[in-house]
Amino acid sequence: MSIPDIFQEERRLGVGAERLGRMAAGVGVAAIAASLVLAAVTAGGVRRLAFAYLTSYAWALSLALGALFFVILQHLTRAGWSVVVRRLAEGVAATLPYWAALVLPVLVSMGVLYRWSHGDVVAADVLLQAKSAYLNVPFFVVRLTVYFLVWLLLTRFFVGRSRAQDASGDPAVSLLLQRRAAPAMIAFALTITFASFDLLMSLDPHWFSTVFGVYYFAGSIVGVVALLTVMALVLQRSGLLRHAITVEHYHDLGKLLFAFTVFWAYIAFSQYMLCWYAALPEETGWFVRRQTHGWGVVGLVLVLGHFLLPFLALLSRTPKRTPRLLAVAAGWMLLMHWVDLYWLVVPEVSREDAVPRLVDMTVFVAVAALGTAFVIWALRRHSLVPERDPRLAESLAFENA
Amino acid sequence: MATEILDNTAEDPGRRAPLVLGGHTFTTLTETVCEVVERPTPRAWWVAFSLSLALSGLFFALLGYLVVTGIGVWGLNIPTAWAFDITNFVFWVGIGHAGTLISAILFLFRQKWRTAINRFAEGMTIFAVVCALVFPTIHTGRPWFDYWLMPIPNQMKMWPQFRSPLLWDVFAVSTYFTVSLLFWYVGMIPDLATLRDRAKTRLRKVLYGIFSLGWRGSGRQWHHYERVYLLLAALATPLVLSVHSVVSFDFAVSQLPGWHTTIFPPYFVAGAIFGGFAMVLTLLIPIRAWLGLHHIVTARHLENMAKIVLATGMMVGYAYAMELFIAWYSGNPYERFVFINRALGPYAWAYWTMIGCNVLAPQLFWFERGRRNPLALWVVAMLVNVGMWFERFVIIVTSLTRDFLPSSWDYFRPTWVDLLTLAGSFGLFLTLLLLFIRFLPSFAMAEVKSVMPEAGLEHGRHRGHGQYWGEIPHQHDRQFEGGTP
Repeated sequence: MSIPDIFQEERRLGVGAERLGRMAAGVGVAAIAASLVLAAVTAGGVRRLAFAYLTSYAWALSLALGALFFVILQHLTRAGWSVVVRRLAEGVAATLPYWAALVLPVLVSMGVLYRWSHGDVVAADVLLQAKSAYLNVPFFVVRLTVYFLVWLLLTRFFVGRSRAQDASGDPAVSLLLQRRAAPAMIAFALTITFASFDLLMSLDPHWFSTVFGVYYFAGSIVGVVALLTVMALVLQRSGLLRHAITVEHYHDLGKLLFAFTVFWAYIAFSQYMLCWYAALPEETGWFVRRQTHGWGVVGLVLVLGHFLLPFLALLSRTPKRTPRLLAVAAGWMLLMHWVDLYWLVVPEVSREDAVPRLVDMTVFVAVAALGTAFVIWALRRHSLVPERDPRLAESLAFENA
Repeated sequence: MATEILDNTAEDPGRRAPLVLGGHTFTTLTETVCEVVERPTPRAWWVAFSLSLALSGLFFALLGYLVVTGIGVWGLNIPTAWAFDITNFVFWVGIGHAGTLISAILFLFRQKWRTAINRFAEGMTIFAVVCALVFPTIHTGRPWFDYWLMPIPNQMKMWPQFRSPLLWDVFAVSTYFTVSLLFWYVGMIPDLATLRDRAKTRLRKVLYGIFSLGWRGSGRQWHHYERVYLLLAALATPLVLSVHSVVSFDFAVSQLPGWHTTIFPPYFVAGAIFGGFAMVLTLLIPIRAWLGLHHIVTARHLENMAKIVLATGMMVGYAYAMELFIAWYSGNPYERFVFINRALGPYAWAYWTMIGCNVLAPQLFWFERGRRNPLALWVVAMLVNVGMWFERFVIIVTSLTRDFLPSSWDYFRPTWVDLLTLAGSFGLFLTLLLLFIRFLPSFAMAEVKSVMPEAGLEHGRHRGHGQYWGEIPHQHDRQFEGGTP
């Protein structure tokens, strides 16, 4: 097999992508308007809207963060195979500035989302008083600012330098990114952990789990690998990167999707089983809420759809080497990742039933459509492959032996 | 090779570093590895073996003393029902994680450098698990009833408690042992056949002949062999995670503050890999120097291992930090007490030993000079070994000695039997290891050859994955041909 010559093919998004970006943005704005209207006209709609937004926002944020992790990891491990898909991950990570701006609705609706933000609630609650040094509004805002600053700096550095390498072709860039990857990983691990504590775990401020940060991380990696797979297939079907990305790269993405699906299940099982076994009321309350009034069904959907089905579907070689099948599985996992966040967030607002409201859907459409537009905007000015990465040739020639 | 490369730690992102140095060819590599087994037994080996065997004898003597006398010879008592026995068990099982990680997970991740160290690490894994298995066996107090742990159908309809993680341990560790042993042995077959073919004495010919299972090295056999290897790697990978997760369940399913926390499974797995790699470094650095294998276990290999030790050490540090933070964040006074007690209580010395060895010491590996100096590497690895033993000691003993009822608080002191049994377990470990080095191919010749340039030259431009050699024409060089940018 000869090395494909990617310089003969289209490597930049064209007018079609521009049109799709505009369309997606339009759909996003329309969906936001629809969500606002729905929230205004239904009883308790504003409250529900806040939780619906947090669900889909945490979903989209996890994908961007997962992408940032993916990029840093490739440099940290001197990965060769992944060079041809790394720019796609860089594009997803480069949407972080948009998500930084879009955290504002969460801050605006803090009073609805987080009961620890109310002084009178804290005053009547011994546990919340014990945590008030951490769970208070100013510190929360400061922390979120710090997280986003770290993420934006990391993105700027890792994505910016890689794009600059397209022009300079300087191998020293790769070495620099590799050296910075290890400390970047530490900053990333701490920020994603505490962000997940702040945004999601503190929805029930009494509940705590040391592995919660790893749980959110695991889901976000499942999400981003799935997203990269879908993106690769969509691009190839629209005539881009037809030679650069081969079945070998899909195979590796499929292996990662399988591995992190199992890793997610491992963390989810550990968290659940240990709380179930010890049966301490301070921990089980959170799970009881997610097992009663129909929420048990959502939990089972996760067990089946986020673990068992993809486990069986991705176990063998064929589906991983059939891009269309793999993309179906990947799309499914993106959806399941959203269900996972729905299961984390929404029981805190709707204990009585697990039925999604229309506003959950419209907000999801808004966030997904806007996210699509953001990714297109992040990718459009640059080549879709790191053209002069010193490991590009290795990536192009890569084969699973 | 015209010029001999001595340093393969330099970074050129466009080219993979060579993994075998010193101008080795297939022949010289085979000679170097087989010579360890074929040359007359060196005196140093006899000295080391005698010492290990003596220590191992002490180990079994103490076990005999324990069984004849009773558990009272140990320092543990209520409330400290677990002490050295379970600490040693978790310590040794943890050590036993590096081998399978290297042979299975690094294999799946196409880390070709693992070929130089995998056989040795796998052997170490087996021996560590053997040591580990001794401790729960004697911990039961009446080891002659240990077969009750097996779910054997019986007239009395007596079954083990299937809901107890202690029973899951029996299944998890024995499965792990079986698969690791298979992996180790299957991987060794081609190299055993090499030893058979080179054997000069009748006895060696027969024994290596039996254990190499009629290996002829035909294309068909290699095809099957590589299939099996991949499948075993895929089967062993979840085991690397499951064993120490189940071990962590022993603690985490309880309601005891300091034991019951959800991060325990991944935290224990990271700690096991951390400790296991440290033990590989501890043993491999002197053995590499002793056998003169610098061209096979190169500076780059040591550096990569140092990086893994640093990475997993940071994960362990992350887990410590999460435990501390959540203990505070939970607002639960018992949780908070346990962690204050660990850091400032009667076992503060053990806690800070653990932090110093596991979190602070590996920070040296941020520096190139730290990773490339074998002596510094060895010292840090040794500290990590100590630190990982103390980690289990801290978890077990601090939570037990000060539980919910202050009137029953206690301070655990090991007896001489405790201390010498721990020392003796190292005797058993080293005895097995020395026998392994002396009689079996402790470096995977066939696998190392597969990462040498000679292995793939006939395939021309074809490149398998993760190639560390040769040149692939750079696309961007061609782009600028003819002056068009």
